[in-house]
Amino acid sequence: MITDEMRGILGKAMATATSFPIAESDIRKWAVAVYYPEVPPPLFWDEDYARTTPFGGIVAPEEFNPMGWMTKEPRPTRKEAPRGAYEAQLGVTPPVFKANMQSQVRVTYSGVRMRPGDVIRSTRRITDYFEREGRMGLQLYTTIALELVNQRDEWIKTLETVYVRF
Amino acid sequence: MIDVDALEPGQQLPTFSREGTFQHWNRFAAVNDEFAEHHMDDEVGRHEGFSSAFIMAPMEHAYFHAMLRDWMGEAGRIVRVDMKLRNPLLRGRVLTAGGQVTAVHREGDEVVVDLEIWEDDDTGTRLAPGTAVVAFAAPRRASAPPA
Repeated sequence: MITDEMRGILGKAMATATSFPIAESDIRKWAVAVYYPEVPPPLFWDEDYARTTPFGGIVAPEEFNPMGWMTKEPRPTRKEAPRGAYEAQLGVTPPVFKANMQSQVRVTYSGVRMRPGDVIRSTRRITDYFEREGRMGLQLYTTIALELVNQRDEWIKTLETVYVRF
Repeated sequence: MIDVDALEPGQQLPTFSREGTFQHWNRFAAVNDEFAEHHMDDEVGRHEGFSSAFIMAPMEHAYFHAMLRDWMGEAGRIVRVDMKLRNPLLRGRVLTAGGQVTAVHREGDEVVVDLEIWEDDDTGTRLAPGTAVVAFAAPRRASAPPA
């Protein structure tokens, strides 16, 4: 399933994006979803409380995704169902597959937190391929690294997701 | 509040549990724009070899973060969370996340804690083993009184 053409794009930026400024309500709704049905920690929604903490105000949960919906750049276009054909973004023919699932998620944080008003930039790269026989036949594992920095070019986190296509 | 001086390998973290229902998953789908049909339709989950619809991986990852935050409070920071997806949380099951301290060491001004973490369902199936690293500000030592 892994072609020389696919190996040739390892490490290359295949997509970049810039978020709209993060809104308090984005953070609040994320926290509500993660902690449902319990009340999330006030650090994520109560500015009066958050000001009393070492953070000095509301911050986003570490895993918060500021790119979940519309981004400022690239400009929005008609939504298409995700198909997992990552290589096509770099002009490379993707492998044939019926299903695409995540098999591993790992993230490393700098300690810089996302806050209301921050504008986040992301860069996505394919960083690894390997194949393995699974119960659904030959499976292709693809690692995609997503690096986030803020408007001061401070690195926030790198999220690596290993997808398995079969 | 964590007593950083008392951290040692073998300590268990308080667990974090959530039911696997569309009530939970649809809220997460709404904030993460994550509407893959195998998270929303039992029939699609069965087509992919499972017995029902199943949870999103980023939500399982977020549950690990919530478990760590509940334990650390605001004194600690998450450095790394690595999760391997062995079995999905199926609709109708209950997920419980847990963890155990495996190592504690000092790095500069911080106390760094290595953890083994896991998520199981209510049948005892291991859903996601993993590891995590968190850090706390190292406690300040009182200086010795003058002789």
